[in-house]
Amino acid sequence: MKKYIHGGNLVLTGLSLLLLLPALLLAQGTTPLINSHLSGIVVDAKTREPLPGAAVNIKGTTHGVATDAEGRFAFVTGQKFPYTLIVSYIGYKKAEIIANTGNITIALESAQAQLNDVVVVGYGVQKKSDLTGAISSVGNAQLKQPVSSIDQALKGAVSGVQVTQTSGQPGGGVSIRIRGGSSIQGGNEPLYVIDGFPVYNNSISAGVISGVPANPLASINPSDIESIDILKDASATAIYGSRGANGVVIITTKKGKADRNNIVYEGSYASQTLRKKVDVLNAHDFAILRNDALYDTDPSKGKYQYLSQEQIDKLGAGTDWQDAAFRTAGSQNHQLSISGGNAKTRYLLSGNYFKQDGIIRHTDFDRISLRANVDANPLDRLKVSASFTASKSDANVAPAGIINSLLIMPPTATIYEPDGSYTLRNPFENIFANPIATLNETQNKSTANRLLATGFAEYNLTEGLRIKVLLGADVNNTVEKSYIPSYIYEGSQTKGIAARGSYNAYSWLNENTVNYNRSFGKHNVDVLAGFTQQEFNMELVTAGARQFVTDDLSYNSLQSGATIDRPGSDASAWVLHSYLARVNYNFNNRYYITASIRADGSSRFGKGNKWGRFPSAAISWRISNEPFFKSLAREIPEFKLRASFGSTGNLEIGEYQSLSTLYSLGYLFGNTIVTGFAPSRIPNDQLGWETTYQYNGGIDIGLFDSRLNLSLDAYYKRTSNLLLNVEIPWTSGFASGLQNFGTVANKGFEVTVNSKNLVGELGWNTDFNISFNRNKVITIGNGAASYISGNYIIKVGEPLGSFYGTVTDGILQTGEEKEKGKFTGNAAPKPGDRLYKDISGDGVFTTANDRTIIGNAQPDFIFGLTNNFTWRGFHLSIFLQGSYGNQVLNTNRQNLELFTGQQNAAASALDRWTPTHPSQTIPRAKLDPAPVFSDRFIEDGSFLRVRNVTLGYTLPKAWTGKISAVNLYVTAQNLLTWTSYSGFDPEITSGSNVSPGTDAGIYPVSRTLSAGIRVTL
Amino acid sequence: MKLTYIPLLALALTACSSLDEHPKAIISSDNFYKNEAQADAAVVAAYRKLYETGQSLYNSLFQIGVEMATDDYEAGPRARNAHVRAISGLTHDASNDRMEQLWKQSYDGINTSNLAIDKITAIAKENITEDARTRLINEAKFLRALHYFNLVRWFGGVPLVLHTPASLDPAALYVAKSSEAEVYAQIIKDLQDAERLPAPAATGVGRANSGAAKSLLAKVYLTQKNWPQAAAKSKEVIDKNWYALFDNFADVFAVNKKNGKEHIFSAQFQGNAGYQGNSLASRSAANEVPGINGDYADALHKQGGLYESFSNTDARKAVTFVTQMTSPLDGKTYTFEPHFNKYYDPAVVGNQGQSSVNLPILRYADVLLIYAEALNEINHGPNAEAYTYIDQVRTRAGIPKLQDVAPGLSADAFRDSIFQERRKEFVYEYQRWFDLVRRGPDYYVKVLKAAGKTLAAPRHIHFPTPQRELNLNPNLKQDSLWINY
Repeated sequence: MKKYIHGGNLVLTGLSLLLLLPALLLAQGTTPLINSHLSGIVVDAKTREPLPGAAVNIKGTTHGVATDAEGRFAFVTGQKFPYTLIVSYIGYKKAEIIANTGNITIALESAQAQLNDVVVVGYGVQKKSDLTGAISSVGNAQLKQPVSSIDQALKGAVSGVQVTQTSGQPGGGVSIRIRGGSSIQGGNEPLYVIDGFPVYNNSISAGVISGVPANPLASINPSDIESIDILKDASATAIYGSRGANGVVIITTKKGKADRNNIVYEGSYASQTLRKKVDVLNAHDFAILRNDALYDTDPSKGKYQYLSQEQIDKLGAGTDWQDAAFRTAGSQNHQLSISGGNAKTRYLLSGNYFKQDGIIRHTDFDRISLRANVDANPLDRLKVSASFTASKSDANVAPAGIINSLLIMPPTATIYEPDGSYTLRNPFENIFANPIATLNETQNKSTANRLLATGFAEYNLTEGLRIKVLLGADVNNTVEKSYIPSYIYEGSQTKGIAARGSYNAYSWLNENTVNYNRSFGKHNVDVLAGFTQQEFNMELVTAGARQFVTDDLSYNSLQSGATIDRPGSDASAWVLHSYLARVNYNFNNRYYITASIRADGSSRFGKGNKWGRFPSAAISWRISNEPFFKSLAREIPEFKLRASFGSTGNLEIGEYQSLSTLYSLGYLFGNTIVTGFAPSRIPNDQLGWETTYQYNGGIDIGLFDSRLNLSLDAYYKRTSNLLLNVEIPWTSGFASGLQNFGTVANKGFEVTVNSKNLVGELGWNTDFNISFNRNKVITIGNGAASYISGNYIIKVGEPLGSFYGTVTDGILQTGEEKEKGKFTGNAAPKPGDRLYKDISGDGVFTTANDRTIIGNAQPDFIFGLTNNFTWRGFHLSIFLQGSYGNQVLNTNRQNLELFTGQQNAAASALDRWTPTHPSQTIPRAKLDPAPVFSDRFIEDGSFLRVRNVTLGYTLPKAWTGKISAVNLYVTAQNLLTWTSYSGFDPEITSGSNVSPGTDAGIYPVSRTLSAGIRVTL
Repeated sequence: MKLTYIPLLALALTACSSLDEHPKAIISSDNFYKNEAQADAAVVAAYRKLYETGQSLYNSLFQIGVEMATDDYEAGPRARNAHVRAISGLTHDASNDRMEQLWKQSYDGINTSNLAIDKITAIAKENITEDARTRLINEAKFLRALHYFNLVRWFGGVPLVLHTPASLDPAALYVAKSSEAEVYAQIIKDLQDAERLPAPAATGVGRANSGAAKSLLAKVYLTQKNWPQAAAKSKEVIDKNWYALFDNFADVFAVNKKNGKEHIFSAQFQGNAGYQGNSLASRSAANEVPGINGDYADALHKQGGLYESFSNTDARKAVTFVTQMTSPLDGKTYTFEPHFNKYYDPAVVGNQGQSSVNLPILRYADVLLIYAEALNEINHGPNAEAYTYIDQVRTRAGIPKLQDVAPGLSADAFRDSIFQERRKEFVYEYQRWFDLVRRGPDYYVKVLKAAGKTLAAPRHIHFPTPQRELNLNPNLKQDSLWINY
């Protein structure tokens, strides 16, 4: 029998401690005869790393224990020395050792050890084989990718996790959906727990810079990460209660290890390029298009209203704005870490410098970070630990709309005027700034300083009973600075615009937990209880000025502007109080039960609804440990069934949403601005939790001496009481009221396969995961059947992310005006107009009435496939990732297929309808600049991508001498992509729950080649 | 033992945070509206709802959502919104988003007035003087009447909401339409209260006053074809001698003459001062000229013949239109198609979005023409007095008196003269659509078809009730003309 003592978390308010103490005293009182004390440590024979969770049993008895997080174990037993210990640990050969002293070190030989046998769960760790819930760990190949932020490493890494880029800008954000999006208006991003500190990754912005702000998680150095574990089902996430509904990503940073003093330097350089350009017209073809559009509007002025044929013939290709903006960009990463210690004290110090230039000019990101992790055992029973990271990151952000401008800027325009000054703007009717001037000359900077620290003290009160107090703080100061000079279009009207913003946030955390972990014969019990509290405070200040006499002062002297913009400030706060408890019980390592409950009180909800309770329960049956399974133990060493049910909540609605808060708005009387106040919503005292019920069933199978491991999970997730801005009649004075209304369901199936195809000198591992998720809106407020939100519809019975638009039906041909003209939507139809389907059947096409669902942004399935090969010192890893069945709304294309001649157009304009070229698919050139959203712009977003290929080589020991290891590697990110998507990159999303899958000029993801070295001393 | 510190620490920290929300940067309506200054803040907010942000009622939405559907305006080359182009071409329907905004923003304004009226009524006696209470409530009633007057003309009968909702209870939110007569009765009631506001000289600049209430009431009566009341009320305003025409038409739109003797009630604008400019200036800007940055989304509908209807001696022509400009960048002079120019602010040449020119909602010329029109209808033909008042407007514009060029007109001919005068006087002042529809569907259809907008139909004298509202509110019915058209 074995028992696992995890890093003990226990909740303890004064009250529960008082209640527990007498029980402990009683337990002490029943201790039997003691004949020996034995303590020891179990380590890896090769690396000497301690092995937490190893089972140590006394042969011939039922007495057994498990090693703790430091690999230590202890027996207090009636057995007399000497006796034989049987030590087993998954992935290691079983060992029998004779114990005849009170202190013993046991070294286990690896049996093709599988990494990450211990999984970090909420408020503790657990052995993988003991899990009852659905938890996935990110593999080593993914963790080692060169990425600017942690969340990017999750792409394709594990089943059930969809990661899409919201911006390919250096340090840019990603959007993560674990088992589908369940909330409409609330947040859908998972909760990150970094060394015990829960962080919700809201985008942080002081509102000064334009474009997508840097991802706050990019301030955490990915090279410091030891492991990422993803909690998916309710059994695993319910311990995070009101913040668990979107899944939990647990991040653990590297720690120092006893008696292993290491100095590691790791450095890499990379070169990034654009995957592909979008095909647009050259100057010659554009000039003809403009002539055609002008002629179409007013034929009386002739066919050459813009340029004559002679002028056109001289034009050539003109300016390629994409070439002017995109570049081959470098990046570099340097990491130095020093770690080591002894049995009493372990430490890790690391410093990191990361710098990435963007593939668009004048965009970049750099980060300097420092980490110190210290663990110590000042007393035998006391453990203290501190984890501390400070970082400063700077980003030059691509201004909003720049991609769109690059594409539609006419090729006949030049970057510079003949006198060397910038061309200010598109010379034609659609006025927008010269994008190269914007990129080169605007200052659009964001600087974030972040300090994330946690520390805890854990005291081993008596056998199996630990008490732990954790304190943490997360301080984030973000400063944004922007300056638009007077000599480019945006600043020309106002003679320079400067702005600064400062966002200061801090959050503190206190967790008090009690953990009781014991075995009684074949009964193994692990109990956790605790009280936690977290508070968040935010303050924001913005200031700006315009009309400067010189551009030299940039944003540094706001007082020099002749016109001062109204300053702004804001402050908000939230508080979360939680009580939590969990019981893990197993009988003889065959039948496992987990039950947990968390009660959360949040300041964000209405007076009558502050508290929510989130219970869960799970069972698993490890059939492979049953006596009747013995005969199959060789072929099927692991066979486990799991089932779980539980509820979790979502509180990501922002602050003060239940109150009828007022906002200020000024009005002008004479020359004086007077401040008024108006309410922003109707109050809702009953505003409460969004609750997700999730059912999960899973099977874990290990075959062929555990060389093939298979996990299957099926789930059903139903989120009700959605925090929904329920639409109300405008006659109320408001458009909506935030209410708990509506239900969304996700169901899905996940498969994970890990296979060791070849072991030996040539090693070959394959890891594969695939996930199917189906999302459906069940109800939405007040009996409404649907509501339309821009290009999307949220409709009962349909998934979120459904595109809602018109359906194209060919082109109106000459002579068809009378018969089909009413299907063009134009008052005066002309041949060459696009035809649309009359969906309402009323005999006429209108954009409002003739819309239907024309696609969905949610994929049928997503998958990741990693193959790792090792041969002598070489290591090759090939990581494929893909998505199938999702559609993307290509708004760039929608813009480029307005053949107005007022802006550049897609190359498809060459195939446009003309009287002599009666196209059936591409309409004629015409001035009408109003886009109609149709299925034409919905594209298949499926892709298969070689996400990462890494070839590494470890220099032979003979060459490196005293240096303990030198690894060299080359890596290619996004090496190849197969997709039919016509835009820059199919892997995009807007990040919003209501409108995913819109490519609205998103900064494209780059292809990266890098080379690096890792030296361990 | 040291251990005892741990629960103590836990307890100590427990007291550190509380779940009650105490917003620091915002206030909630429960703890506001308690005294006179806060009562004023409620009314200030109601003024601001004349236009708030973006395309808002008196800052371009009237032009985009309403005036496009007349013979004088069309969606310009830069109008990229398909809904706007639909209104311009009369293909709009119940899902038109600009029409939705007309409805939505008007009710937002009404709710803000309702809230002010409800909250100010409830302020304790010791915290506000009765004079201030009455004045502030009546200002809010004026604004409420203005919004309902717009709504009833756009949509016909509409839900009549007179109190701010206290909760999200659906029963209270699903209000059925009242008849046009009921809406008008409420408008008149509110304006009769607002008539008790102080005289213009006794009120703050830009605020509603007795003159504004009486003038608006005259216009309400005129729209109802209640000619005697329209005549009486407009004459009352004239006889008060509170207002006069500027001698020079250009002064109506001069920044340094804002809130002058002719202005009765205006939407107030101030560019480049941490406030907001009149966006009509940039929507019509002559962006063909280098250095003049504008949208050119509001264009003249040439087939309507408006530009040609002005004689060259008409002082209004050069104020209303611009056809030639010198570029501030290259110094060259450019000639182009007529652009509307009333709100062009020479102080912000390149940046017309910051124009400080006010938008007149009621001005004295309107009152004079209301009186002349009402007299013509009462007497079934123009008497000398009717000629006198239309000619005050014509004389100021520098064109011959109607009395001189067309004496002894029939009632119909004089009515046409009044409408033509209104059309030329109030170009780009949000008046044309109202004037066209109040003469009935036949007139509207005739005029628009003559101007080449051939899809004009009788239903167009109202806008359809927004489909969204019909979907959400089971008690709401579509205007009968907009069903199965």
